[in-house]
Amino acid sequence: METNTENLTPQESLDLITRMIRQTQSNLTQSSFYFLLWGWVIAFCNAGMYALIKFTDLQHPYAIWLITIPTWVVTILYAKRQGGSSPNRTHLDKINMWLWIALAITICPVLVFGNQVNWLINAIILLPVGLCTFVSGIILRFKPLVLGGIIFWIAGTLCFIVSPIDQHLVGAFAMIFGYLIPGYMLRSGKK
Amino acid sequence: MLKDLDPLLHSQLRLGIMSLLISMDSAEFTYLKEKTNATAGNISVQLDKLAEANYIEIKKSFRGKRPLTTCSITKKGIKAFEEYVNALKEYIGK
Repeated sequence: METNTENLTPQESLDLITRMIRQTQSNLTQSSFYFLLWGWVIAFCNAGMYALIKFTDLQHPYAIWLITIPTWVVTILYAKRQGGSSPNRTHLDKINMWLWIALAITICPVLVFGNQVNWLINAIILLPVGLCTFVSGIILRFKPLVLGGIIFWIAGTLCFIVSPIDQHLVGAFAMIFGYLIPGYMLRSGKK
Repeated sequence: MLKDLDPLLHSQLRLGIMSLLISMDSAEFTYLKEKTNATAGNISVQLDKLAEANYIEIKKSFRGKRPLTTCSITKKGIKAFEEYVNALKEYIGK
């Protein structure tokens, strides 16, 4: 690109602006890491919890959720590394980042005071997860994530209807269709 | 005649840089260089011109031992860019 001003017509200027703005697309592949990590962890926890309650008489089956603690650490470290290595961030990247931080803040009191509602928190978690997944899909212009968000909303609503044990199964399936499938599609670059 | 168009923005490279920065929170020198396909020397000169007009802010730091130049658009730059685009639309509409 030159500094030439002579032959730059208004239409060429507008075309140049459009072309440059189009180049500032979010890094979709980078976003897939979080969906795959949390998709696998939460699907495993939900399926594990279901299996432990259904097929064993373990006293504290919910202990399986402790693996989310190292998952948080990995998430924070990865985000720090990504943010530190590249200051090239679009406004939409920033909005997307704060959207998910806001979700984490929303979920925190649910996790701390979950015992007040006998840990029947699947619906309370899946519904806002649906919101963030849906909005992220819109921001990244990635339809599978938009559909993923809708699946989370359906799953969250289903959790009000099914038994407490089956809620975990609903949660596991929601993660597969809401996070894992869109996550793998994001990573492979499919739209 | 395009006499009302901001001469600072009415240049391919400077307009390209501003168009990238308008949708970015911040961008590295190397990112701008890669996206505009300009030479380091050329882009450096144009960045300085935009910074002198307070259209962009340039921050120099280090990543490890390597120098890191980060650019971001200022409020004045956003206003100038918007005025430039509005002027372009008027010209095209005529």
